[in-house]
Amino acid sequence: MTAETMTKRELPQGVGMLTPGWLAFFAVAIIAAVAGLLAYTNQLNQGMIVTGLRDLGTVRGAPWSLYVAFDVYFVGVSFAGISTAALIRLFNIEKLKSVARMAELLTVVALLLAALAIMADLGQPLRGIVNLFRYGRPQSPFFGTFALVIAGYLFASLAYLYITSRKDAARLAERPSRLRGLYRVWAAGYKDTPAQRQRDRLVTFWLALAILPLLITAHSSLGFVFGLQVGRPGWFGSLQAPAFVVMAGVSGIGHLIILAALVRSALRADRRITIDVFAWLGRLLLVLVFTYLYFTVVEVLTTIYQASATEQGLSDALLTGRYAWIFWGSIASLLAAVAILGWMALMRSWSVGWSVFAGILVNVAAVGKRYLIVVPSQTHGQLLPYGTGSYSPTWVEYVIIAGLFALGALMIGGFMKIFPIMPMEEGE
Amino acid sequence: MRRIVTILMILVGLALMAVSYFRWAAPWCATSVGCSDPRLPWAASFVVLGILIAISASIFYAVYKGDD
Repeated sequence: MTAETMTKRELPQGVGMLTPGWLAFFAVAIIAAVAGLLAYTNQLNQGMIVTGLRDLGTVRGAPWSLYVAFDVYFVGVSFAGISTAALIRLFNIEKLKSVARMAELLTVVALLLAALAIMADLGQPLRGIVNLFRYGRPQSPFFGTFALVIAGYLFASLAYLYITSRKDAARLAERPSRLRGLYRVWAAGYKDTPAQRQRDRLVTFWLALAILPLLITAHSSLGFVFGLQVGRPGWFGSLQAPAFVVMAGVSGIGHLIILAALVRSALRADRRITIDVFAWLGRLLLVLVFTYLYFTVVEVLTTIYQASATEQGLSDALLTGRYAWIFWGSIASLLAAVAILGWMALMRSWSVGWSVFAGILVNVAAVGKRYLIVVPSQTHGQLLPYGTGSYSPTWVEYVIIAGLFALGALMIGGFMKIFPIMPMEEGE
Repeated sequence: MRRIVTILMILVGLALMAVSYFRWAAPWCATSVGCSDPRLPWAASFVVLGILIAISASIFYAVYKGDD
């Protein structure tokens, strides 16, 4: 028996198996990721002139744009992953245990993509990284975002993913396969004894307990990056931080629903990822979308009730002007998601397809809202008399963002081919 | 041994975060240029290092093979 045949027979959940469908998926994702890399190389060589990014003021541009919008979006996606995983462990939600690992993985991948999106935004990325470590002011929300989100949150998520996967790695290391060496290193001498299980329970409980406040703080600090800028109408406000946390939950839970449905279909795991999983996530998503819509109404009413001239101009641009199609498109997407999820909740009849559709809708809305948070306040929120600005992304920015999504898909797909995406069952 | 080292790692991490945040980083003020510069170069890195050490305690606790 060849090593390849043994791998096919022994490893669970399609690990180590490359079917034609998977090969096609990897080929498309690699092509898109390489296209993104080439576009980034072009940007690095030519400078930021190849993008739509321009200075504020006399140039009337927007230095923060698509890259920052997607950085905020990816950080948001990461929120739901690890918070869902932590809540599953803390409250022992048995029905969601099958999606715990993919939630943890989603967090790690989304945070890496967020870091890369910020790298793309920097004209001199190396200088940016070095100066952040050298001169970063811990009082700054930028530093809070960097230290808490990238260092603390990413590392905590990786630690969590590692600790919760060691048991499966040890079981896989006992089976003959080409990946056996990797599993041995991964398991790091794990022995499935009562004492080890007790240690794992203890450490994951405390880690989950530490992660929850850490991620609320991290997402709030990202909201503060915008919310504390007193000279920028549209950004300055106390609602930014909580709205960031809620929207993060919306986009992340939406992504988790989509990922769970894809895994369910790819691995034919209807028995493991049951319809109850979608019902749980759908109800959670419904509550979060309602909360976010409430924040949006409060924000809009506050702005238009008795706004200054600049704030009035900004809200006009959002509600009836240049950005109105994005604003109302996002609101319509959220309302459609509420209608779909609300109907399924009322009827107590959940459908995977409709849940996925709602997940896609809220993510479309999330991208739109992130764009609206970042861009209009720069082009239409000038307190100094510089006039209205504009920003249009170029093909370079679109290709780099598409490349980031492809890279994310590659990371998740690659993980699924080397490790079970769902915790292994007894006898699996 | 496991518990002692884990607790030590958490304490060292927290202490490093606190000291580098409140003593080594730029002071909490906005009255002069001095408020922008860290009192110890690379102070921000030590905050991050403190976070990493504290979180690593969880991995040590789970992976260490010796006695409790």
